[in-house]
Amino acid sequence: MRRTLLTLGLVVVAAGAAAQAPAPSGAQQQQERQTTQPGNNAPVMREIKSGEKHYTGIQGRETGVLIQPPARFPGQSAMATAGEAWRNFRNGPVTFYGGWLVVLVIAAILGFYAWKGPVKLHEPPSGRQLRRFSPFEMTVHWSAAISFCVLGISGLTMFFGKHILLPIIGYTLFAWFTALCKNLHNFIAPLFIVSVVVMIFMWLRDNLPRAYDWQWFGKAWAFFARGEHIPSGRFNAGEKAWFWGGVILLSAFVAWSGVILLFPNFDQSRAVMQDAWSVHAIAALIYITVSLGHIYMGTIGVEGAYGNMRHGYTDETWAKEHHSIWYEEVKSGRRPEAAGGAVPEGAPHMKEKP
Amino acid sequence: MARMKFLCDAERCIECNGCVTACKNENEVPWGVNRRRVVTINDGVVGAEKSISVACMHCSDAPCMAVCPVDCFYRTDDGVVLHDKDLCIGCGYCFYACPFGAPQFPQAGAFGLRGKMDKCTFCAGGPEPDRSDAEFRKYGRNRLAEGKLPACAEMCSTKALLGGDGDVIADIYRERVLRRGRGADLWGWSSAYGVKPGAQPPVQQPAPTRGKS
Repeated sequence: MRRTLLTLGLVVVAAGAAAQAPAPSGAQQQQERQTTQPGNNAPVMREIKSGEKHYTGIQGRETGVLIQPPARFPGQSAMATAGEAWRNFRNGPVTFYGGWLVVLVIAAILGFYAWKGPVKLHEPPSGRQLRRFSPFEMTVHWSAAISFCVLGISGLTMFFGKHILLPIIGYTLFAWFTALCKNLHNFIAPLFIVSVVVMIFMWLRDNLPRAYDWQWFGKAWAFFARGEHIPSGRFNAGEKAWFWGGVILLSAFVAWSGVILLFPNFDQSRAVMQDAWSVHAIAALIYITVSLGHIYMGTIGVEGAYGNMRHGYTDETWAKEHHSIWYEEVKSGRRPEAAGGAVPEGAPHMKEKP
Repeated sequence: MARMKFLCDAERCIECNGCVTACKNENEVPWGVNRRRVVTINDGVVGAEKSISVACMHCSDAPCMAVCPVDCFYRTDDGVVLHDKDLCIGCGYCFYACPFGAPQFPQAGAFGLRGKMDKCTFCAGGPEPDRSDAEFRKYGRNRLAEGKLPACAEMCSTKALLGGDGDVIADIYRERVLRRGRGADLWGWSSAYGVKPGAQPPVQQPAPTRGKS
């Protein structure tokens, strides 16, 4: 097979050579220039600027490159050396738009909460509890959730802390805290990746899209603003969108680029690291922004939602109002794992208040 | 006040690596770290071979300084870009951003875990008191405080590598070019000290609030 490919390659190269004489190499150009115009080093200078590797006695990564090759990141009108282009991309649009994206979404969520308040139950709690999440599911969810928060906060500190935290707490304390953030970020990341992979397989079946999910998107505003309920399975369409777009898609971007940045010992070039950083930062900022919505809905945004994942049980009234199709399935015995049973002491939320 | 710069004359560099050795010896740089290196273009091709010695160029608008998450870089009154190893977290961003590949990272653990960044200091030490033991241990010799220029340039056998006040070394180089009538390509200066097309000239930086003057 290899022999075949080699032969094929030679044929292609030969065909190319026949069609057009190869351009003289930089060295040949310089030799020629030296005879016609002695002291004119323009070909050598061009070779340097192209950023290719040359000879050096110093062992190491890219030590033969005198200056990084030119590059251009999205939104840039001119080429600059790759390092300079990356710096402008990072310190420019990614910092500006990414920072304001997070700030504005937090402000919008808090504003909405102040305006409309949480989505409350319409009926009083029944006092009968259903098994909503197994201990295994809770463990996986909280492993992913807590590691996500650690990664998010440490990442935001490493990116924006210089502009926000540093002026307040000073150089010494900020550098100590950022070093802690870097180490937490590096060592918590594998836990997050493993949790997410398990979560994907664990909840894949319940997150498969169904026909009735479409109406959720049409009525989502009515739910947020007026607490109107839309028939949903175990997970509603918003949760499914978070699962496919966040847990799967954004995790894939963040994890893949993160692993490249996490293990610099595979001799990745600086260009690869710059690209990986850019993908990592942009995907992570979007991920953090979307997660704020999920965290809001799971804590203060919807009455009773936090307790479901905290204790694993939900009240029948909550299930009936928020996930009516799932509730019907449980009641008709199609989901034996969720059927009532003994409720431990640890599930006190949503009990009727005396 | 002087504005310190490096200049390498490609017509003169003979790739002896004396500057690399001088730097390592003078600053007692850790194993595996080279603050300076010599790169040869068209190695072994008669009439086309040129060598250039490169280290931190102490840029006017330094990308390393701009991307550092903990802002550990500072510029001295001589225009030398230095950093504080007590603040450095070893993230490697300065290495991604530097056009010249100047920042070096001694490996500090498994899986390529980076130690604190090390780079050319223009033989100007660091934020510790001048010529103190702590300064020497972390940053190497502070020759500027002794009234001397960087060891690499001082040691250069052909005076291809010049280090010193930018105006003075530029004048020396201009005189050479006029005298020999060739080799006017001032390598690296447009990236390190140049003004970008269409941009405003760099504003004079205010005196650093940290570090010594």
